[in-house]
Amino acid sequence: MRSARFALVFVSAFAILLAACAGGQQPSGGGSAAPSGAKAAYGGTLTFALENDVSNLDPMLSGLFVDRNIHYAMYDSLVRVDPQGNILPWLAEKWETSTDGKTVTFHLRQGVKYHDGTAFDGDSVKWNIDRYIQTKGSLRTADLGSVDNVQVVDASTVKFNLKSAFAPLLGALVDRAGMMVSKKVVDAMGADFTVKPFKAGTGPFILTEAVKNDHYTLEKNPDWWGKDAAGNKLPFLDKITVKPILDADVALTNLRTGQAQVINRINGKDVPVVKTDPTLTYQQVGSFSWNSMVPNEAPGFIFNEHRYVKAVAMAIDRDEILNKGPAQGIGLVGWGPISPAHFAYDPSFKPWPKADPDGAKKLVAEVGKGPLKFELLVPSGDPATLQTAQLIQAELAKADITMDLKTQLFNDIVTLQQQHKHPGMTFVGWSGRLDPDGNTYDFVVTGSPNNDSSYSNPKVDDLMKQQRAESDPAKRKTLLLQAQQIYAVDDPSRVWFGFGVSPLVTVKNLTGMESYPDRIPRFQTAQLQK
Amino acid sequence: MIRYILRRLVLMIPVALLVTVGVFILVRLSPGDPALVFAGEERDPNALAAIREQMGLDQPIPVQYVVWLGHLAQGDLGRSFQTHQRVLEAVTERLPATLELGLAALLFSTSVALIVGILSAVKRNSIVDLLSTSITLAGVSFPSFFLGIVLILLFAYIIPGRIFPPGGYVPLTQDAGDNLRRLVLPAVTLATASLAVNLRQVRSSLLDVFGHDYMRTARAKGLRERTVIARHALKNALIPVVTLIGIQIGAIIEGAFITEQIFFWPGIGRLAVQAIPSSDYPVVQGVVLISAFSYMFSTLIVDIVYAWLDPRISYEAATA
Repeated sequence: MRSARFALVFVSAFAILLAACAGGQQPSGGGSAAPSGAKAAYGGTLTFALENDVSNLDPMLSGLFVDRNIHYAMYDSLVRVDPQGNILPWLAEKWETSTDGKTVTFHLRQGVKYHDGTAFDGDSVKWNIDRYIQTKGSLRTADLGSVDNVQVVDASTVKFNLKSAFAPLLGALVDRAGMMVSKKVVDAMGADFTVKPFKAGTGPFILTEAVKNDHYTLEKNPDWWGKDAAGNKLPFLDKITVKPILDADVALTNLRTGQAQVINRINGKDVPVVKTDPTLTYQQVGSFSWNSMVPNEAPGFIFNEHRYVKAVAMAIDRDEILNKGPAQGIGLVGWGPISPAHFAYDPSFKPWPKADPDGAKKLVAEVGKGPLKFELLVPSGDPATLQTAQLIQAELAKADITMDLKTQLFNDIVTLQQQHKHPGMTFVGWSGRLDPDGNTYDFVVTGSPNNDSSYSNPKVDDLMKQQRAESDPAKRKTLLLQAQQIYAVDDPSRVWFGFGVSPLVTVKNLTGMESYPDRIPRFQTAQLQK
Repeated sequence: MIRYILRRLVLMIPVALLVTVGVFILVRLSPGDPALVFAGEERDPNALAAIREQMGLDQPIPVQYVVWLGHLAQGDLGRSFQTHQRVLEAVTERLPATLELGLAALLFSTSVALIVGILSAVKRNSIVDLLSTSITLAGVSFPSFFLGIVLILLFAYIIPGRIFPPGGYVPLTQDAGDNLRRLVLPAVTLATASLAVNLRQVRSSLLDVFGHDYMRTARAKGLRERTVIARHALKNALIPVVTLIGIQIGAIIEGAFITEQIFFWPGIGRLAVQAIPSSDYPVVQGVVLISAFSYMFSTLIVDIVYAWLDPRISYEAATA
């Protein structure tokens, strides 16, 4: 019996080894580790229908999600992620963190050139990070707040010296804070760099045309360093045209009529139809984004009484919001900000598996100030958002909670919220970040920039600071979950009710694309089959 | 005439100044913070303070106005808060698309209004007249956002063959055929309201002129009816129509705000519609200012055309 078990283990181990040998190499250019088997199809042009016009093509000054959809094609970051959220080597081939966590040394990929022909090296990394940290008005200062300085060891080695150990740093370097741009192009373009950063990146595609509100052209970088799992040189496509199309229905029509080949957002109502359409491919993964209602807990406002926030969190029916609301079941219910796509997610965290209107009523009665009535500010312009708010309004009514709805421009709501002047709650979510710290810390730690609810709990502050300094993922997860129990349940800072998904819809003959939790399409592995 | 034109041009300066004050104050009445929009989800307070400083928003409003006016006097409309693109460049980039759409709509509405209006006036109370009155009523009643969506539904989805695309723009120089195909629906949408107004004006002006003595004289001279209408009636009836068309030319820029949005037409209207909720003050100010100037110039041109159409109108006498 014992020898049979040994033989089984041996055979299994051999099979895994054989599969590993036959399966090719780990792709350097991202994408699936498994080769497709089909012959690589080079060439072709595709159109990507983007949900809005990009705001800023300079990674330093970009504040919107849409911008990143182009950034990822034209710029390389020091590190990137795979669809499962694992950090991948990118412009940095490997890295080491010192035992005290205060120094991270990156070994850079050699022979890489920016699209304008200048070399990417240690000096370039230092110049980029210094630019992000020191430029007045840079939007990357928070991402790189832990970095004291960057030291160039040699042309292919840089050392990030941190003010204190900061576990989320690598996660930040995946995105804009880690994107490398050519100094020569930045200097040459001046203020126009934000609009036309032509040839500024090292990425798989070169931005060659930028017509605001109309289209952006990205052409193949023939000298890109990436290869796929089968060893094919990337990218495959010759050209990508990015067209901003605001309306999701119109974008889908463009896909169906062949005027676009890729979209990365879709209305819930259209998903069943798209899934059965033989000409299209639908993929989705859970995203980092969450939906929430933000109370104003500052003194003098209704929700300064945190039990009221808890009553609202208890009374809403999250399953109903997801399934009967405009999302039509496309998404995930949630009670906190750590999403299933994060390493720290706890699937058993379901403080109110079902709506508890009676419990909410008791809590409001316990406060003893009569029925709860408040105003929810809802961003105008999107009927689906208003429908969701109306559904929540009806659910709260079952707990005798009156929620009045008021629509206002998103910008006005965010301004009010930032000034802690919103009277009741606002209906504002978060696009999500790779590291759970980016989904939590700034929203719940006293005085943090995104803490629009004016929340303050010393225990939460302490736990959140501890997790930042903790390099062991298992210990970090414990700290993050302890904090979540407090700020989402025991002493709630806001009402979380669900997570988004990242859809990717492509035409059938477009292969090699995968959906990522950040919803940004990666085009370097995309192939248009003839 | 030249003295009159010069006087009108000089008078435009105080009007323009008033417009600049008005638009500057109005855009700042919105409670939104442009720095927050620019920063998106990033909220580092130091970064936000630096952004406000760069935008000049840390200065008192009168100081901001004087600075902006100073740049304006040098032909600099500033840079967009959100994209840092020069406003003048943003506007000129979109001007061809807006002009193409506006002129196509104007051509369509004017020509249809003239033809149907004349027929309607000549054959009063006939089927043609009834149809023209119905078009007028429908055109005035249908808001462009409704009509646009109905046209998209009809021609891009319901009618087989998808005759016209639901939206988008291809430059004329790139593919003339595709450009025209994409132009039809937005141009018809934009033209419908003005078509109704122009048609009604052509019809009623002609009916008014038909009652004059010189029309009876022309007919009594034995002139053909076609000549009577073309030479005697139409020229006199056109004066109020020219006023309307002149105003419509001036309104091309902002007239297309909604239509450009529905059809994803990358013109000035769409630029402004996107700039308003983002509190992108320089862009909104720039577009409103250019729109105001186009109004002022078009009314001046209308006044000049008056004199050509009706030699009895003399500006020299008025200024003497």
